[in-house]
Amino acid sequence: MTAPVLAVEALGKSYGRHRVLDDVTFRLAAGETTALLGENGAGKSTLAKVLAGAVPPDSGRVLVDGNPVQLSSPRVALEHGIAFIPQELVYVPKLTVAENVCLGRWPRRAGFTSGAALRRQAAAEAERLGFDLPLDHAMDTLTLAQQQMVEILKALARRSRVILLDEPTAALSSHDSERLLNVMTGLAADGVGVLYISHRLDEVFRACRTVHVLRNGHLVRSSAVADTTPRGVIEDMLGRSADEAVAPTRDRAWARPVLSVRGYERAGLPPLRDVSFDVGEGEILGLYGVRGAGAEVIAETLGGLHPEVTGETTVDGSPVRTLRRPLAARRAGIAYVPADRKSQGLALTLPVQQSLSMLVLRSLSRFGVVARRRERTVAGKLAADVHLRARGLGQLVGELSGGNQQKVLVGSRIAMRPKVLVLQEPTRGVDVGARLEIHRLLRRLADDGTATLLVTSDIEEAVNLSDRLLVIRDGAVVSEFPRPDFRSQSDVLHAAGGLD
Amino acid sequence: MTAATPTLPDTTPESRTSRFALNEGTLRGVILAAFLVLIVVFFSSRSDAFFTSDNALNILVNASVIGIVSLGQALTIISGGFDLSVSGTVPLGAVVYALLLNDGYGVFGALAGVLVAGAICGFVNGLIVAKANINPLIATLATMSVTGGLALTIADGVQIPFDDPEQGVLAEQSLFGVNNHVWILLGLSLVVFVALRYTVFGRYLYTVGGNREAARLAGIRVDAVTTWVYVFSAAFASLAGAVLASQLLTGSGTAGTDSGLQSVAAVILGGASLAGGVGGVPGTLIGVLILGTLANGMAIMSVPAFYQTIATGVVLLLAVGISQIRRISRRGR
Repeated sequence: MTAPVLAVEALGKSYGRHRVLDDVTFRLAAGETTALLGENGAGKSTLAKVLAGAVPPDSGRVLVDGNPVQLSSPRVALEHGIAFIPQELVYVPKLTVAENVCLGRWPRRAGFTSGAALRRQAAAEAERLGFDLPLDHAMDTLTLAQQQMVEILKALARRSRVILLDEPTAALSSHDSERLLNVMTGLAADGVGVLYISHRLDEVFRACRTVHVLRNGHLVRSSAVADTTPRGVIEDMLGRSADEAVAPTRDRAWARPVLSVRGYERAGLPPLRDVSFDVGEGEILGLYGVRGAGAEVIAETLGGLHPEVTGETTVDGSPVRTLRRPLAARRAGIAYVPADRKSQGLALTLPVQQSLSMLVLRSLSRFGVVARRRERTVAGKLAADVHLRARGLGQLVGELSGGNQQKVLVGSRIAMRPKVLVLQEPTRGVDVGARLEIHRLLRRLADDGTATLLVTSDIEEAVNLSDRLLVIRDGAVVSEFPRPDFRSQSDVLHAAGGLD
Repeated sequence: MTAATPTLPDTTPESRTSRFALNEGTLRGVILAAFLVLIVVFFSSRSDAFFTSDNALNILVNASVIGIVSLGQALTIISGGFDLSVSGTVPLGAVVYALLLNDGYGVFGALAGVLVAGAICGFVNGLIVAKANINPLIATLATMSVTGGLALTIADGVQIPFDDPEQGVLAEQSLFGVNNHVWILLGLSLVVFVALRYTVFGRYLYTVGGNREAARLAGIRVDAVTTWVYVFSAAFASLAGAVLASQLLTGSGTAGTDSGLQSVAAVILGGASLAGGVGGVPGTLIGVLILGTLANGMAIMSVPAFYQTIATGVVLLLAVGISQIRRISRRGR
């Protein structure tokens, strides 16, 4: 028997005291398509980064064709034939497709390169693999699906024998996903090993031969897809039987709707299709969907970021004329907590106090002058409410941990005493302790009457925190779970991944 | 799972000590002030004429034009922008001031005209940067050309001497024998200091500069804040032009054309970041004084002027370099 093209033996990696990968062992044969599954934070991305040479492992080894290799940098990994195509593509936007395909390997003679030779080279590669791409177009004029094809072509042009794809279809339409899956199957037929990270179980079960499941850094399943079922895989990902009862059921009397959304439509990607729902007083309504399913667009629309979305919005009985810009959303009584606290939520150069008072500064001032004492009192109270851990109100937000930054962000939004609180991925990249505190805070706010819309791609958060959960798929509400709990997880994943 | 003990920010022992600890901004200010003292000590040891009250006033007198411009520049840089066009607005202010004086509008009338002219230039800048979303460097480089050319056009290519030499009151000495424009600089510094620290506008400025997108999502009218910043910057610059004209008793379309780079240098020297969100009046004033003291000291030591510009560049690199080294060492920890 020949050695597998890629083998991983007892791989381990820790960040501080947190063990992200522990004793991970598997093999990838030439021509094999393997899915790598796991919840957020299970270690998938770290494993991919180790194989791509971006992160050094603490222990264990990687073998290519049976020979141990040191993947000390992305360049070395490429030289060993391992190509990594990350979720966020890395390319040079203004260069042509041909130039991107040959990036770093442009034909040269005495320091000069030839455009014609370069184009010939790229065309030859594209033809060899049967890719139809506009070689002379600038990269940034292509669709996302085409850009992904270019990245794959780039990897194959380097004669890569292992291709790692990190959630390649997350932002693609179903038609483009289908094409990409066909390409993958074709590659495998040519003897390339494909390692495919995804949340979409339907694709995995259609396109992959073997499946590995990571949970908390451990490889808990490695088997042929034919030997397992979607339900079994989900149970492996969650680490418990999908029927096990854990969460206490919440008993919420039906409440009057505070936020009503009717017939949201959007033509662009990701699209929205006739999305309608109500959020009642004191209710936490969850919206769950995989990346690119459209749930995030709904949150952003309510935050005033998508003026192009059509439909009706009603807050507290009065129709909102327009959500053209963030200020309009705020005036309508909607507080929006954006997904990315660093790029969209906070100015890291500001002290805690000023970040907390950001939205209510006008009410804390007279004739344009801030009443510092009142501001301090308000900020102090907010900091206590969100259980902020900081050296003081004067500490810069940029110096806080991710969890505490997130608390400041949420605190700044609840300062305006919103009628509706819209949260997008409120605990992404936050440690477990802070996550629990944020969840308790949101529950407390809801108990005080705040109508909360929770948009999350974190299944555990979705079922734990939501009083009611809607699943979004391809821009439409596909199912509703009136009182979700742990037992609903697999059903929710089914619905979101299209395995119904 | 960690225990969720509620922690009030101000009751922890750490927070009490932190009140006495220097934060980064303060520390930078201290380093800069020390740097200024160092320069003063150096020149004092070289020349008896340097460390005198007359010369101290001299430095202030010579620095006040750039000082006034730098106050406005500080606003744009804190908001994450940049205003090179002051190089054109200063001479424009000077020319307009001289013309209005000679037309008999009086000092206050002429000043009002100068401020309006400046504000209009700034408003245009603001619209270009905020609404058309053109990079402030490019936008103000273009409007610098326009306003500078406008100044020369209005003056018909010649200097405009004041008809009545008595009208240089802006530059005359008054209270405590200190020149009026020095008082103007100090007064404006106080106003800007208070505005930055204690007003809603000032806060919005730091927020917009710190993270434009976050400010927008928080419902702050980023466009309006940005536009106002450029209006203030240009108004300050044209006022500085009036001061300059009063000093020379002439409105000249070619004086003060270096104020764009000089003011940026002073503000950056004063601890502001081109990325925005950081900076303030005390640092800016120290920056202005460092540049002014260097020029003055070297002039007293009869160092040729072209060496002075080299020295200014080296000092700027040094000051920015020191803060960079500190940042790198912090990251290393």
